[in-house]
Amino acid sequence: MSAERGITILLGASMAASLALVGVYIFDIREAPLEGALLAVALGGVGAAIVVWAVTLMHAPPEVEERHEMPSPPSERDAAAHALDLGSVTRRRFLVRMLAGAGGLLAAALALPAFSLGPQPGRELFETGWRAGARVVGGDGEPIRPDDLVEGTVRTVFPEGAVGRADSPVMLIRLRPSDLQLPNDRQGRAYEGCIAYSKLCTHAGCPVGLYRAEDRVLICPCHQSTFDVTRGAVPVFGPAARRLPQLGLGVDADGYLVAAADFDEPVGPSFWNLTHEGGDG
Amino acid sequence: MILRWVDERLGMASWARSGLRKIFPDHWSFLLGEVALFCLVVLVLTGVFLTLFYVPDAAVVEYEGSYAPLVGTEVSRAYASVLELSFEVKAGLVMRQVHHWAALVFVAAIALHVMRVFFTGAFRRPREINWLVGIGLLLLALAMGITGYSLPDDLLSGTGLRVIYSVVIGIPLVGPYLAFLLFGGEFPTETIISRLFVFHIMLLPALLIGGVLVHLAILWRQKHTQFRVPGATERTVVGRPFWPSQVFKSTGLLFLTAAVLALMGGLLQINPVWTYGPFDATTVSAPAQPDWYVGWLDGSLRLFPPIEFTLLGITIPSVFIPGVVIPGIAFAIMTLWPFIEPRLGGDREEHHVLDRPYDNALRASVGVAGLLAFVVLTVAGGNDVVALIFNIPVEAMTNILRVAFFVVPILGSWVTWRVCRELQRRTDVPDPRRPVVLRRTASGGFEEGGHER
Amino acid sequence: MRTARSLVALLLALTALLALAVGLASGGPRHDAAREAPPAQESGAMGADLYAQSCASCHGPAGAGTEYGPSLLGVGAAAVDFQLTTGRMPFAGQPGTQAKRKPVAFSQEQIDSLVAHVVSLGDDEPAGPAIPTVTTSDDLLARGQEVFTGNCAPCHGATGNGGAVGGGALAPPLDVTTPVQTVEAMLVGPGQMPVFALADEDLDAVASYVDWLQNAPTPGGFSIGGIGPVPEGFVAWVVGMGMLLVVVFLAGRSWRRAGGDE
Repeated sequence: MSAERGITILLGASMAASLALVGVYIFDIREAPLEGALLAVALGGVGAAIVVWAVTLMHAPPEVEERHEMPSPPSERDAAAHALDLGSVTRRRFLVRMLAGAGGLLAAALALPAFSLGPQPGRELFETGWRAGARVVGGDGEPIRPDDLVEGTVRTVFPEGAVGRADSPVMLIRLRPSDLQLPNDRQGRAYEGCIAYSKLCTHAGCPVGLYRAEDRVLICPCHQSTFDVTRGAVPVFGPAARRLPQLGLGVDADGYLVAAADFDEPVGPSFWNLTHEGGDG
Repeated sequence: MILRWVDERLGMASWARSGLRKIFPDHWSFLLGEVALFCLVVLVLTGVFLTLFYVPDAAVVEYEGSYAPLVGTEVSRAYASVLELSFEVKAGLVMRQVHHWAALVFVAAIALHVMRVFFTGAFRRPREINWLVGIGLLLLALAMGITGYSLPDDLLSGTGLRVIYSVVIGIPLVGPYLAFLLFGGEFPTETIISRLFVFHIMLLPALLIGGVLVHLAILWRQKHTQFRVPGATERTVVGRPFWPSQVFKSTGLLFLTAAVLALMGGLLQINPVWTYGPFDATTVSAPAQPDWYVGWLDGSLRLFPPIEFTLLGITIPSVFIPGVVIPGIAFAIMTLWPFIEPRLGGDREEHHVLDRPYDNALRASVGVAGLLAFVVLTVAGGNDVVALIFNIPVEAMTNILRVAFFVVPILGSWVTWRVCRELQRRTDVPDPRRPVVLRRTASGGFEEGGHER
Repeated sequence: MRTARSLVALLLALTALLALAVGLASGGPRHDAAREAPPAQESGAMGADLYAQSCASCHGPAGAGTEYGPSLLGVGAAAVDFQLTTGRMPFAGQPGTQAKRKPVAFSQEQIDSLVAHVVSLGDDEPAGPAIPTVTTSDDLLARGQEVFTGNCAPCHGATGNGGAVGGGALAPPLDVTTPVQTVEAMLVGPGQMPVFALADEDLDAVASYVDWLQNAPTPGGFSIGGIGPVPEGFVAWVVGMGMLLVVVFLAGRSWRRAGGDE
């Protein structure tokens, strides 16, 4: 096939595809694959034609070009340096320092508005929507009795009045009470086999939405940190190093599950001062 | 006529003449950077289209479009606008998909281009300066990708943002303050989407395009490097003139790149945000992965052992070392390599003739080690998907990769070292640590041709 | 000239893909499948016989369980029906491994009699859930996606393509699950899966959405696995960068060839 003929075919295909594209648009044929394929032929036809043209019909012999030296001749460089030289100005060191000082302070003053971008972190990293006595409710806002949960159930729950609050989701799991081996500092937080942990991973904050019922572990799908639910959510695999914060559970007078208190440690990812009780600021 | 009009006002005839006659050496690998550039062109064009329909707004609305399973669901206006763009706007879905594929291929082309430059020693004096510009461009491209990934406000992108927030808040001493400044408060915030939008469509593209222009200007000024073809010396460039052949070839490549991306954008569904659902901070979808070029960072987070300790009252979170320190070291070594290599036995001479990849065994070994570490971490970033596909426990996968992160790069660089030495012996090349020899003998190019055979 | 030909060939290949694209036009028809709960049967001789042949060796002759299989007393009809209709039982894998979906071993009649027999074994226990009646409806899709995303997607994936959940366990793909099986699984929590004893409407909604997912349209072309950025990145490299490398290599090679001609 001669080059001219090839180029003709390619450009012809491109023109046909472009026309078809116009048709597809006008007649509102919503088929992404068709649009993409036609567009590819329209563009590719032109591209291939130009390349074939250049390759076959433009016989440019190889040429040799001299490289120029990158560095300027020393005399030239000296002249430039001389032109740059502030001479007497730099001798007025006091004024130069004043200029630098003024520039620095101006930069600092101008940089300050950057702090408008966000508030100072205060107590919010240490607090969630849970309070002592707050009812445990499902995503639908309905309170939950322990007997609503059969063994092996897992539900995402919130404090009443704060459904969907980002720092407050909790994984509520019902186990056989005899399966629980909570560590000493977390004794008494389960209620009749109901056990509740913050849903936010202590590694990178993803919701630990996976639960393996036979192994009784919560898993974070982001980085596979795995927490043993029966032993106070101690990490047993993956990059998380901290236990999931545990919510103490009880029931109120009507028999609904309530929180004993807010979490006693920050939920979600660690930060440098998370062990400081204060966090004031 | 037009030429005369322009020349009378700008007087550019001689500049244009020499410019058009500028010699470009031929090698297919020199076109990798051009492919990246053309991906950028496609990204800008499709991106402008998307910008006209996307609404960077976190306000909650009820979805009322044509995607049945979401009708009546409360979603952000940003997410709703992406769905409208995908389902209601004519040609919108193709544009969106081409944009996303172009972003993935853009970084892939940059990666190959960087590899070509690295393994052939094209970064050596006087081109260290363009290497630095190039690393800056790579970082900008990654930042573009990350900000763009997060814009649709779907469950997957929101999960990605959350991991970024967690890494930032984990920086000792400054983390919480920095995270609150960037995000405007505790995650999730309403402002983050509009902030990312400003970065994605204004600040970062301006820097990226400006940087590309500087990159090209420096290239133009310094002229291309070239391989050891017959006639190539340190003082000359052998190739074909810019006009017409190079211009035609590049224009053709622009169209062909766009054609490939259009084909992918039409035929291969990417990031179906409608199936992920709108972002909800209290739930998560799996598998949760970033786009490929961030996978290695996610893999680093996945592989790192659970180490968190408190030193003088300052807790070092488990994400800090794999999420900040390791990438920081990796980029520092990469950025400074043109200055590291001369201290490790390389020379400080000017080079315009490229090394073959095996000419410098040390560089090749280091490069292969880095590349393999990157690959291991990238696989780790998808460890649950790999586990699913090959039906192996995720834990086994993770433990294997933890070992592989050390073993594979070391083994790979040792093999590379041996292969390079063997190839050097066979091709009878002078010791690469004394390339001065080459400089002296290359004046006529005759001996070079002899080595090639 | 060879280059001209190969570039034309490349373009023709692209055109061939176009034809393929047209074939992608529409997804298959949807079917609403809601199997009615089998009529309660007396546990006849058939159920007892089948149980003795296929189940007793692991679960014990009276269903109280052995070291090879758990007790079936009081598990309820839904659990048995789910295990049998998905082919998970009779178990054929290594002891201690996850039961996987396989071709169903029994006829519908046999399954019904087995279910009745196993339920009768546990008459003294509080009974587990019965086989649910499931009604799927497109009106429930929105609620279905919401509940699915919150409860099911973390393990089974947003597209229901399954996922690795650690410990060597796989959350299976939901591509052939019937609506009744979906709800049974949620009520019973088979294997590693927890129990999701949601309101009836939410159960129906999830079943509707899972059913819809099985034939969900992919308006953007091939779904390439539907498991997110990992296959996307792979395709970007292999298909995208692969095609571009061919293009780049053709252009680059031809130039050297042309140089050789001079």
